[in-house]
Amino acid sequence: MPETNEAAGQRAVAEQIEHGGTGLGLNDLLAKVGAAGTPTGQDPPAAPADTGDAPAERDEAALTAEIAAVAGRHLPSGRLAPDADFFDAGGTSVAAVELVAELEELLGREIDLDEVFADARPASLARRWLASGHVPPTGATVPGGPRAADAPAPVAADPATVLPPGAAAPAAAGGTPPGNTPLPPASPPGAVAPAGPVPLAASPSGAARPAALLPHAAAPLAVPGPAGPIGGDLAPRARREDLDQILADLALADRLPFTDLPEPVPPRRILLTGATGFLGSHLLLDLLRHSDAHVYCLVRAADEDAALARLGEALRSYRLPWSSEVRRRITVLPGDLRHPRLGLSEETWHTLAREVDSVVGVAAAVDFLRGYRSLRASNVLGALTLAELAATGRPKPLHHISSVAVFNEVGITSMGEDDPLAHVDRLVSGYDQSKWAAETALRRARDHGLVVTALRPGGIGGHTTTGAYNPLDLSSGLISAFGRHRTVPAFRYLNVAPVDRVSRVAAAVVCEPDAWGFDYHLTGVPSTLDDVVRDMALGGMHVRVQDWDEWRADTLARLEAEPVPELAFLGRVLRSPTALKLCEATLTGPAAEDTRTAALVDALGLPPAARYDSRAQLRTYQKLAADGLARLPHRDDRPYLWFDERTEGSVGPVGAPASEPCSMALTLSLASMYQLVEERRIDVAGEVTCPAVHPGPLTVAHGDVWVRPDEGIPHQHGLRHRLLRYRLELTDLDGGTWWLEGHKYARARRDVWRQTRALTVEIGRAGESASFAGEVVVPADTYVRDQIDGIRVDPRLTGRERRAAKLTWLAWFGLEMGRGLAGPFARAAADLLDLRRTPAPTERHR
Amino acid sequence: MIFRTTRTTRPRPALRRVRTTPTPRPLRHRLDASRVEEIPLHAADGVRLGLTRVDPGDRGRPAVLLLHGHTASADMFLLPETRNLVDVLLDEGYEPWLLDWRGSCRLPYNETGRRYTYDDVALYDIPAAVSHIRERIGDRPLFAVAHCIGSLTLSLSMTAGLVPGLAGVVSQGVFLTPKLAGRTSLRMTVAGELLRTRIDHIPVDFRTVGLWSKYTPLFALASRGADCPDPTCQILHNSAWGTGASLFVHENLAEATHDRLAQLLGPAPLWILPHLRRIELARTVVRWHDGDHRYRALPANALDAAGRIDTPVLLLAGSENGLWLDSQKLCRDVLAHRRPELDVTYTEIPGYGHLDTFLGRGAALDVYGHILDFLGAHR
Repeated sequence: MPETNEAAGQRAVAEQIEHGGTGLGLNDLLAKVGAAGTPTGQDPPAAPADTGDAPAERDEAALTAEIAAVAGRHLPSGRLAPDADFFDAGGTSVAAVELVAELEELLGREIDLDEVFADARPASLARRWLASGHVPPTGATVPGGPRAADAPAPVAADPATVLPPGAAAPAAAGGTPPGNTPLPPASPPGAVAPAGPVPLAASPSGAARPAALLPHAAAPLAVPGPAGPIGGDLAPRARREDLDQILADLALADRLPFTDLPEPVPPRRILLTGATGFLGSHLLLDLLRHSDAHVYCLVRAADEDAALARLGEALRSYRLPWSSEVRRRITVLPGDLRHPRLGLSEETWHTLAREVDSVVGVAAAVDFLRGYRSLRASNVLGALTLAELAATGRPKPLHHISSVAVFNEVGITSMGEDDPLAHVDRLVSGYDQSKWAAETALRRARDHGLVVTALRPGGIGGHTTTGAYNPLDLSSGLISAFGRHRTVPAFRYLNVAPVDRVSRVAAAVVCEPDAWGFDYHLTGVPSTLDDVVRDMALGGMHVRVQDWDEWRADTLARLEAEPVPELAFLGRVLRSPTALKLCEATLTGPAAEDTRTAALVDALGLPPAARYDSRAQLRTYQKLAADGLARLPHRDDRPYLWFDERTEGSVGPVGAPASEPCSMALTLSLASMYQLVEERRIDVAGEVTCPAVHPGPLTVAHGDVWVRPDEGIPHQHGLRHRLLRYRLELTDLDGGTWWLEGHKYARARRDVWRQTRALTVEIGRAGESASFAGEVVVPADTYVRDQIDGIRVDPRLTGRERRAAKLTWLAWFGLEMGRGLAGPFARAAADLLDLRRTPAPTERHR
Repeated sequence: MIFRTTRTTRPRPALRRVRTTPTPRPLRHRLDASRVEEIPLHAADGVRLGLTRVDPGDRGRPAVLLLHGHTASADMFLLPETRNLVDVLLDEGYEPWLLDWRGSCRLPYNETGRRYTYDDVALYDIPAAVSHIRERIGDRPLFAVAHCIGSLTLSLSMTAGLVPGLAGVVSQGVFLTPKLAGRTSLRMTVAGELLRTRIDHIPVDFRTVGLWSKYTPLFALASRGADCPDPTCQILHNSAWGTGASLFVHENLAEATHDRLAQLLGPAPLWILPHLRRIELARTVVRWHDGDHRYRALPANALDAAGRIDTPVLLLAGSENGLWLDSQKLCRDVLAHRRPELDVTYTEIPGYGHLDTFLGRGAALDVYGHILDFLGAHR
């Protein structure tokens, strides 16, 4: 039996079970879903709704098959069952964008990308498009009305009829080509959270689509809502059928068995899902570090070797250790969160239920574009399966990684740990809905005696030390765009905490029995707009604040003008009306409060939360830049600060007295303070005039000055410390190339003022050794004039910023020179102190 | 007067040693005693050292020499309360050898013995241990894993050519280019100069000196701004023997390790400061003895002689190293510029300080993997 068909069959059954009221327990039901190959065939009663319109049904079936065939081409497996979700089958957001382009061609009509993301099953797409196709253009975006007539099922009164009409099942049987379809789990990362939402692959069609998509984007309220707009209320609303599905999913929690209290001891055997994800992999390591537990990791893979390889690859990609020492404390379980019993054999399931004493659910599909239906299998049903496991066998606590997305309603007033969650009908994005549904379902599970901890991170920023970040996370894209374009949208708070903090606190909760069973906000200290602007200014990036709409339009325009493949996903998010609502709610939301978390952290003696400031973000930003997302200031940019330096002196052939005049007129510039502090390097341009080398002036093709290179360690044993090192590549008028290497040295001598100005130089032809040597000096009278008074700063900055830049440079450089000059004197002084008499030891035994 | 500086009880006089010589106190470990072989090693200048071989049960394994830091001892690789480096090496097919060089707290020299400088360690102790191990293991490869001053002195031995032919060296914390924070260096000098006529070592265990002693002001100074009330932890974690640096990330130590820090780290001698200061101000390992020809085998400046290093080197450092800062990164950079032919790699361990790279409860997860990878690549 082809796997995809089976999955589709399972889904159909699962949905029927959800709505029907059989007396089976959840586990029985899930097991039935798992066991039943294609029970859809014996389920004709689901179809009666369609009896009326046979031609329409055939059309629909044909269209479904056609869509499925097209969609299959965008999948790694090459096939898609008509009632299988495109994303669950391994489709990525990029592939979805391409698919929409192809379908638009096929159907000859414009298709709303959000529509595909909301529910990407070919059968349901066909149904919706057929329905909307019959209506006049004016009502095209609201398929609710016509659908009610055309396919009479989805009426709110009876949740059961929200199901896709039974027609889907025969279509599934007839529409899928025979043959074996590879396992969906073999799909590339993308479907389930560990991998996250939008792969970064370049997407030409992603850039090409905006023309078609923008009209929809301009009307954010055009979210299809079969229930119709509610009179006078312009707030965005969830789709009726999604709400019905959510309610049905919540009801699943009622089937959980009643369970006893877990033994209140630190865990010894932990089941962890999502260990290949960004947070999950960090949490895995923190659990290992801070407990003595053995961790079982559920990994989506065909077998154990593949699972181990996948986990190792994930840990390495996040710069986490992956050694025999890590492997000896974990066991990988190949499985799939979305399947009944986690896709494990019955025996493994029961062993786990008996032996594991803590369940930590991190896995979730994180995709802001996909709809609830496409996310529920991972985010809601998966969480319920974990609850089932926690309640079966030995009672164990369930620690669920939720999200502050459960508050992500536009206009919510507070986000405390015990504050009411958002109104689910005002959550527009499927991701928000699925996180809300999972947490609410698990709250119901608490009534069955299950100890459920909800841990809600906000944005999860990159690691403060390793810089590892989640390339698929929205915040990575936003930070990159801020730095690239030097603009930020006006937001109220950023509830972002670095991943090391989030995972450390989560691990502390898992390991502390007295902390179990409550809700925690792992949001750290929220940053205000002012904080962020100041942080970026400190890093030498002066940003301008824009209104959200202005920023979005501006950023989209810039991303189109100079496309950055790594940021294509940000463009897609900014064009999706649904995702925009999510962004808007996030940006206008209040600061998350973390009173309980802070109290716990304090009681456990962990360091208190610190704001995720520019220092903490530095490594992440460097890695973002190295990976092509962000961009560091570069020497080709307009410099941030620059000044002139003139030197005069003489050189001569090596070994001979320096008698020929030589002068340099250089411009020293900085692209940013970052360059100075991190690389200790200054860019150089200008001319060297040295008749002994070449009669004409030599132009600096490339030049650098390093301040106190290698901490000023002398070339040779001695007290001649290096203050500055100049390295210039020169070209003469005839095209010859030369190098110039110069050093300013600090010595324990009284001519300190001259030491700061005298440059010992060597000049040679490129690739050869030095042929000239000598010394050039900055004349004392030009030093202050050029290098202090003559400092110029990027005129685009405000006056205050310019003054700050100049002062920062002078303070930094002055301190460095002071330290460099003091070095040899300190060593000489130490030699003097060493002459002091060394007394015989006065103390023996106390 | 409640506080009287004159003692009410006279300190017990030390027993004059007429027949016994200093011997290392017993190791604290959880290995089978029959597997631990203590070798009475004497350096070429007659100083008694400690050398320990842990018998892996089979022959033919590559040997790994572990060098502790100053005032620590071989115990730092044998912590019974956590997964320690010796456990890991035994499991991965190596034969661990542990040297207690003369700066070990298992030996009495830091507190009462005769004085020494790091020159003595580089010239006598390390070569003596290496040649003894070589006699025993024949031509099997010999690696060295060294921490802090153990690594610094090893670099001096290596550049002097006294320990040729090592299969690989893992250096933690500091190697050829020691660098202290300016503040640490200044406090070290000021405190050292003020105290040198009064005391000759700084104890770390309050219980050995009592509440009211001439060390009390030092402990009081170390407790300023400290989060942890344990005086031993304060003088190490918060102050690094009064210099104001921090030796480890507090959170990384297991509670049991934290409570026995005084066993793991002994008193620090003050008379070593001049050599340490000379090294630190030069940002290079330099020889102390200029005119003493017994030491002429050592280079005056180890960095200038770095060309004699004939083995791959892995430089490890915790990202939060509060004592030696980014010395290892500096060393990598300097050697890359000056000796590009050397096989030197640098690995930073995120979230770790100095001592916790070996004492930390998660060291096996975060640190030893890098060591094993390196040893595995060169065995």
